[in-house]
Amino acid sequence: MDCMNARSKDKKGKGKSKLERREGLAGLLFVSPTIIYFIVFFLLPLVVCVYASFTNWNILSPNRIFVGTLNYEKLFMDPKFWKALKNTLFMLIPIPIYITFALLFAYACHKNILGQKVFRAIYYLPYISSIVALTLIWMWLFNSQYGLVNSFLSLFVDNPPSWLSDPFWTKWMIVIMISWKLIGFTSIYYIAALKSIPKSYYEAAQIDGAGPRQQFFKITLPLITPTTFYLLVIGMIGSLQTFVEVQMFAPDGGRGYGVGTIVFYIWQKAFSSSQMGYACAIATVFGLFILVVTVVQFTVSRKWVFEGD
Amino acid sequence: MKKKISPVRIIIFIILLIGAITMIVPFAWMLSTSLKEANLVYTIPPQWIPQPVDWKNYVEIWTASNLLTGIKNSCIISVSVLVFCTFTSSMAAFAFSKLSFPFKNAIFVMLLTTIMVPLVVLLVPLFVIYTKIGWIDTLLPMIVPASMCNINIIFFLRQYMTGLPKELLDAAKIDGCGYFSAYWRIYLPLCKPAIVANVIMLFMITWNDYFGPLVFTHSESKQNIQVAIAMLNSHYIQQTDIPLMMAASLIAILPVLILFIICQKYFTETFVMTGIKG
Repeated sequence: MDCMNARSKDKKGKGKSKLERREGLAGLLFVSPTIIYFIVFFLLPLVVCVYASFTNWNILSPNRIFVGTLNYEKLFMDPKFWKALKNTLFMLIPIPIYITFALLFAYACHKNILGQKVFRAIYYLPYISSIVALTLIWMWLFNSQYGLVNSFLSLFVDNPPSWLSDPFWTKWMIVIMISWKLIGFTSIYYIAALKSIPKSYYEAAQIDGAGPRQQFFKITLPLITPTTFYLLVIGMIGSLQTFVEVQMFAPDGGRGYGVGTIVFYIWQKAFSSSQMGYACAIATVFGLFILVVTVVQFTVSRKWVFEGD
Repeated sequence: MKKKISPVRIIIFIILLIGAITMIVPFAWMLSTSLKEANLVYTIPPQWIPQPVDWKNYVEIWTASNLLTGIKNSCIISVSVLVFCTFTSSMAAFAFSKLSFPFKNAIFVMLLTTIMVPLVVLLVPLFVIYTKIGWIDTLLPMIVPASMCNINIIFFLRQYMTGLPKELLDAAKIDGCGYFSAYWRIYLPLCKPAIVANVIMLFMITWNDYFGPLVFTHSESKQNIQVAIAMLNSHYIQQTDIPLMMAASLIAILPVLILFIICQKYFTETFVMTGIKG
């Protein structure tokens, strides 16, 4: 818009006025740190990553040899890569869980349930806590012999799972942890969205004889779809990059690489095996994967996201 | 319509209460464990209130781990990032919302693309770049890029400043005020609630950062607090001093927690106010 305006002004009077030029200069100056950041810490590494993915680069030897698409061919034959991809997709499971609970919680807060302010503060607690501290607590909570969780579970089942040594259960433990951590934070978005729905809609619905359930499904839920969509996009980008939990719970990727995610695999390849070229190839493929997922989400969103009157 | 307490509300309250207990139990368990003697940890059934209450973990932790160095480094990183990033990001937000300059939309779209690229794509090249310029094993990789801008804060403040009248800028210009002082003296003070909310978020992100320090530093004297407490973890839990680990976790959580409790009002209400719609 602004660019268009500037251009039309250009056509009318030749060149820009002194004042406009001063404003343009000030604007560029104000965003210059941002531009420098973009070029040095984003664009340059991005280009280097794609370039390096075609070399056999490793940190130990300075000479890089161009190897063409060899890294990519290797990647598609690499069973560990496919396992890591499977584990990464597993980390999408928490998203519907915490979104549902967050919506319920936000709805309850919106209805002014007694003590909602205290509840909100408590629900935000996990989100503000450091993930490393949380993983340490989690390891102790889910300790198979002395952990609180298993001593509770043993009241109901004979053999509670050994969370930290069985990859299957480690992954579920991470799912529980991420869901638990994000309910409160996600609810902030829903509380804001619920507040923005005009009261008159509900009044009109009430006059037409719609019950609370109908109001929720026919008014509330459709009107907050933009928020749900935003949370899905952000949630997917975040979940697909799960790293710390894996690195803390299964420092070697778990038995049979049953826990390691893509980001963890890239980190391992780059800094433990120092296969930088190969790590860059995985990173490039992974970056494209996330891009495709996001674009697909935006395309599909036209079918279900409410776009305003 | 008469207002009375409906059974539905009571059920919702109970569900919320159960949820709140789930949220708080891990923290309570952390606190309880951190006050236990090492051998009391393995009692079955678990003991909620430690007998005797033992404070010595909170004394020992300072010598048993690298916590003090970690806190020092985390403070240096957080303070620098908070000061510089708040300044640069709010300045950029001001320019995007109130000034017209060449390539404005192009630059803004450019910033949007950075959100879609996962950090790990940049990680290996950044490591090599930092190696070349001698930044590895210093605090600079955590300070410099984060100080130059934070995309989320720019978006958030831009949204917030768009809501402020543009007439203020025109008036300032008539009074002979430059663009910088219009930003510094007029718009920045008006953004105070939004700035406070973002400062808390930024502090939380910087203080809790683990990935960056893990990759870019390796000597103990450069660890931040998260790396320092992560070192307490041994994969074989029986060899780990669990009460000590819990005490360290509590200390790591505490600064953000205190700030959050003090500023909670700012934090949640600004979000609701600005009405993030995605």
